[in-house]
Amino acid sequence: MTDPLSKQATAGDIARAVMSGKAKAADVIAATLKRIDASEPTVNAFTDVVALRAMKRAREIDQGLHRGPLVGVPFAVKNLFDIQGLPTRAGSKINVDGPKAPRDGALVRKLEAAGAILVGGLNMGEYAYDFTGENAHYGPSCNPHDPTRMSGGSSGGSGAAVAAGEVPLALGSDTNGSIRVPSSLCGLFGLKPTYGRLSRAGSFPFVDAFDHLGPIARSVEDLALSFDAMQGWDPDDPVCTDRPAVPTLPELNEGIDGLRIAIAGDYFARGGEAVAFEAVATVAKALGATKTVTIPHAAAARAAAYVITAVEGSQLHLPRLRERPQDFDPDTRERFMAGALLPGSWYVKAQRFRRQYRAALQKLFGEVDIILAPATPCPAPKLGQVMMTLDGVELPVRANLGIYTQPISFVGLPVVVAPLQKPGALPIGVQLIANHWNEAAALRVARHLEKTGVASALPA
Amino acid sequence: MAEEKPDIATLVDEAAKAIGLPIAAEYRDKVIVNYQRSLAIAKPLLDLDLDDELSPAPVFRP
Repeated sequence: MTDPLSKQATAGDIARAVMSGKAKAADVIAATLKRIDASEPTVNAFTDVVALRAMKRAREIDQGLHRGPLVGVPFAVKNLFDIQGLPTRAGSKINVDGPKAPRDGALVRKLEAAGAILVGGLNMGEYAYDFTGENAHYGPSCNPHDPTRMSGGSSGGSGAAVAAGEVPLALGSDTNGSIRVPSSLCGLFGLKPTYGRLSRAGSFPFVDAFDHLGPIARSVEDLALSFDAMQGWDPDDPVCTDRPAVPTLPELNEGIDGLRIAIAGDYFARGGEAVAFEAVATVAKALGATKTVTIPHAAAARAAAYVITAVEGSQLHLPRLRERPQDFDPDTRERFMAGALLPGSWYVKAQRFRRQYRAALQKLFGEVDIILAPATPCPAPKLGQVMMTLDGVELPVRANLGIYTQPISFVGLPVVVAPLQKPGALPIGVQLIANHWNEAAALRVARHLEKTGVASALPA
Repeated sequence: MAEEKPDIATLVDEAAKAIGLPIAAEYRDKVIVNYQRSLAIAKPLLDLDLDDELSPAPVFRP
């Protein structure tokens, strides 16, 4: 059994140990806080550590006051989640001058109701307009596998904290790839659920049309445990579904029998480094997938996601762009400003195309259950790297780390990222894409890959 | 007929005025670069023909 106080311990390991009385929650939290202190100078994942609150909660658990499937499990959240008593930074300097959150965000409350213990808020790209994990105000969150490289963003602190073994579980947000990109670059399992599945109440928005929240962890069981604890309708998020929750843990170990798995071709088979396609081929071989499918108009989907993001995000921040432009991160400011000037006709066309594209994907999911695609076009770039060469074309890093994730979140499909790690090489992830509301299938496939040793997420 | 290239610098200056967004001189060049980049990225969408009957994806339900 893994030592529940070690950095290798998963959320499941810790919960079982606390539940059975083999470990005290207070000892788990003390060990967690010690690890955070030791790792932060290298990874810079946390912006806020709520040590007193966490220790208080842990002692209450040890007194038997709180129970649940995640009892005693330390977790942290991207700092766009409300944490009671703290300003919700959302990676910005400007929001620190705003009001302190009157209560925790909905998903923080749900995880704590399941016994988990919040230990802090995590670094992120400013206002989530980011794929790098860099931040001019708080410094970059660094990749624990090589601290001279990017963690990926915008949930960079979430990826760095879990990959460094500071916490077993973190929450992030994903508008265009912000859970999936750091999961790939930091070598972690990440779940971007179906759009509308999890409540976004009590989190700072970016693009209402695409904003999703979800977990990042080092085991598939931990994704399922936390996802199941967070499901359920919430009247405070108008997008949150009133469909019944679908627990994924009970069928997690059912294997892949009966699942039709295909590889995304065309757009998803070009424009990246060989290592990204080799990862997809490795996963396909392990799953016995040989069929290739074409997601039609994926390039237009990426373009439309870009337009909707630029227009909605910029409109949200227009008052701040007018009044405090000097306080923005220079890497987001001019992108937001340019987005505020894009033609309205582009936005409406993107939303009309979105309906057509959704119909095409629903047709495709009549033929297959899971589609495999790269998560990122390359492993982690160097910190500060501005340009990269993909397929012989020099492209900006910031806009292109999400080329394979954007066309998927554009229509809210659920995705699990399965990380592949080789000794001496940087990790890279593969997207396991399922039909709407079928997170369970993607998690089953990820669990199969984990059990067979194809995918793994050991802490750096 | 060759497509006429838009003057993005003028477009940025005038559109910013129209929506009341002051763009300081030190930010202007990067805004123009980002607008040009947006034009390039949006092209696959702008090149598509859509059916007239296609309604936008978000549906407002009163």
